[in-house]
Amino acid sequence: MSTPARRRLMRDFKRLQEDPPTGVSGAPTDNNIMIWNAVIFGPHDTPFEDGTFKLTIEFTEEYPNKPPTVRFVSHMFHPNVYADGGICLDILQNRWSPTYDVSAILTSIQSLLSDPNPNSPANSMAAQLYKENRREYEKRVKACVEQSFID
Amino acid sequence: MSEDPENVEKMEGDSAKPDRMFTLKKWNAVAMWSWDVECDTCAICRVQVMDACLRCQAESKRDFYGKQDCVVVWGECNHSFHYCCMSLWVKQNNRCPLCQQEWSIQRMGK
Repeated sequence: MSTPARRRLMRDFKRLQEDPPTGVSGAPTDNNIMIWNAVIFGPHDTPFEDGTFKLTIEFTEEYPNKPPTVRFVSHMFHPNVYADGGICLDILQNRWSPTYDVSAILTSIQSLLSDPNPNSPANSMAAQLYKENRREYEKRVKACVEQSFID
Repeated sequence: MSEDPENVEKMEGDSAKPDRMFTLKKWNAVAMWSWDVECDTCAICRVQVMDACLRCQAESKRDFYGKQDCVVVWGECNHSFHYCCMSLWVKQNNRCPLCQQEWSIQRMGK
């Protein structure tokens, strides 16, 4: 069955293949276009560099009027990522716009890795270390970069 | 300066009578056109605004004359979308999805 949400997701996938943004990739799962797997590579010159972070994106039939649920599968240590992998990012909640597509979502999350927002923490330990002990923060992030190669 | 008009006249007189430099044998006029809208793709469904939106395509809605009845709407901010796409979005948030300005319709049509 082809619904508007599914058709739009096909367009998102086409655009992602034709004009792939650097450092991110994503594709629908084999049997369900409403569930995608994605990978974000840790941005250069950040402690996340070299990490390969896996995510899942789940859409509803209300897409693109409602944002998808995006979650890190790889273990993350980041001020705006919850312990269960959920992401606290304004454009995925109250600042969502139906003009965003998968490519825009993934590049926004990638830039969240470079620029955390410690003022709305999802992981208070990460936020505190980011503000007060950058060396320890980077050490903990490097550990999850190492972890990302395994899982 | 005062010599110039004389020179021009003389040159014209000289070159017009003997064999012409070239003659025009064929003239191809080329016209370019584009839609008179700032953004020709609906940023919500990613289909050209002059085509039916994804929803109408899926439902293959047609009007009395068998044409797909999916109009374009322009906001005061000059951004354009399919009326169908925009009417679903404004129920949730009455702002232009592109510039976040308060959404008010400037005009509708094709």
